[in-house]
Amino acid sequence: MTRLKDPFLRIEHLEKWYGDLHVLRDISLDIAEKEVVVVIGASGSGKSTLLRCINFLERAQKGKFFLDGVKIKPAEKELNRVRQEMGMVFQHFNLFPHMSVLKNVMEGPVHVKGLPKKEARDIAHRLLDKVGLDDKADTYPAMLSGGQKQRVAIARALAMEPRVMLFDEPTSALDPELVGDVLKVMEDLGREGMTMVVVTHEMWFAKEAADRVIFMDDGVILEEATPEKMFTAPEHERTQAFLKQILPQE
Amino acid sequence: MGNIIPWNFSVIPEYFFVFREAAFYTLQITTLGILVGLIIGLLVAFGKIAKNRVISHISGAYIFVIRGTPLLLQLFIIYYGLTTIVTVPPFPSAVFALGIHNGAYIAEIFRGSIISIDYGQMEAARSLGMPYTRAMRRIILPQAFKRAVPPLGNQFIIALKDSSLASTIAVPELLLRGRQLGSSTFMYMEMLIIVALWYLLMTSVLSYVVHRIEKRLRVSDRDQT
Repeated sequence: MTRLKDPFLRIEHLEKWYGDLHVLRDISLDIAEKEVVVVIGASGSGKSTLLRCINFLERAQKGKFFLDGVKIKPAEKELNRVRQEMGMVFQHFNLFPHMSVLKNVMEGPVHVKGLPKKEARDIAHRLLDKVGLDDKADTYPAMLSGGQKQRVAIARALAMEPRVMLFDEPTSALDPELVGDVLKVMEDLGREGMTMVVVTHEMWFAKEAADRVIFMDDGVILEEATPEKMFTAPEHERTQAFLKQILPQE
Repeated sequence: MGNIIPWNFSVIPEYFFVFREAAFYTLQITTLGILVGLIIGLLVAFGKIAKNRVISHISGAYIFVIRGTPLLLQLFIIYYGLTTIVTVPPFPSAVFALGIHNGAYIAEIFRGSIISIDYGQMEAARSLGMPYTRAMRRIILPQAFKRAVPPLGNQFIIALKDSSLASTIAVPELLLRGRQLGSSTFMYMEMLIIVALWYLLMTSVLSYVVHRIEKRLRVSDRDQT
């Protein structure tokens, strides 16, 4: 387990059960500022649960979390504050269907941070422009394609000016031809220095954008390495088997 | 008259507006009853969803008892049953009975529409750092309300017709007036047909209004099925 000197995010001895099912077993993980970490693994390996535990959408039964060296107390008020620092992008977008695209992006700044509407509108337009969708500002989510929805969702998360972005299989629900646009936005984000934790099956993204790849298996972090090492010389048999299945054979 | 039909429907236009006052009673009982029902319904819906076991059980018990017994019985309990401690006049008795009765159904409509909203909506709001109650108010309820409109409209129509039970405790609403005028003019069928026409008129207007509201609320999901 890599122990960093001043981790931006530190997870210590995380344990999570669903009833009798032990989904996360003694997970410890450090994430540096500006690091892009990609989490891979078979479905059911616990990677999404890990991500959801980081911003406390799932409550772990055991474990400590530190943000910037400060321990996060799992009390409602504190969590509302901490979540503002962590943007989350969901597999199924979860845009607010009763609001226009612009209002979706403005929702956090106005109704969580309490920014004036005008300021929030400027932020929203800038971010929609960044994800290439400012022309859709006044339409409703129902009129967008999956890829567009996900890019709006990224803009919505970014509008809170989070210090880390969590991506939970952001392209798994998309048609293949729409995946590229979303990954491009994410890649740019990583390049700009955003700290990111990405759960994905897109090995292309892991190769291009990750600083570190983590392989999870049966609720544990089995292996972590740079993308080069992970994809060329994985150590564990399970990792080899998984990658063999998922990578296109040349 | 040597008519084949033993009724004289030509008196309908003449008597139609005699029922105006009675119709106004029906409308008042219904509107006030629905209003009381909406307030109770909202409270009980939230009560049943609440994490607090006591509150959720009380709300559950309310729905169980009210839905499990006839409205007419509830009306009699208020009007006759309570007389030993308090005398409730006919009109308020009708309003409260209708309100309490509809409160249970409306609670289930609200609760159903709230829990039908995808949990991802709450998660997305919470992930922005939004507190639970604000997420409920800003994200869940507006969507839930939209889904509640068609069943609510249906419930309102039922309430309108159920208000006729007030005739049993001497509220001079449509049905009671129909019976009274029927016996005094010996034209029962004619008067009851007029009552039916009044109900149809009011239910049509109500359906139309609900339909318009539904249509207006649909703006944001034009492309959704």
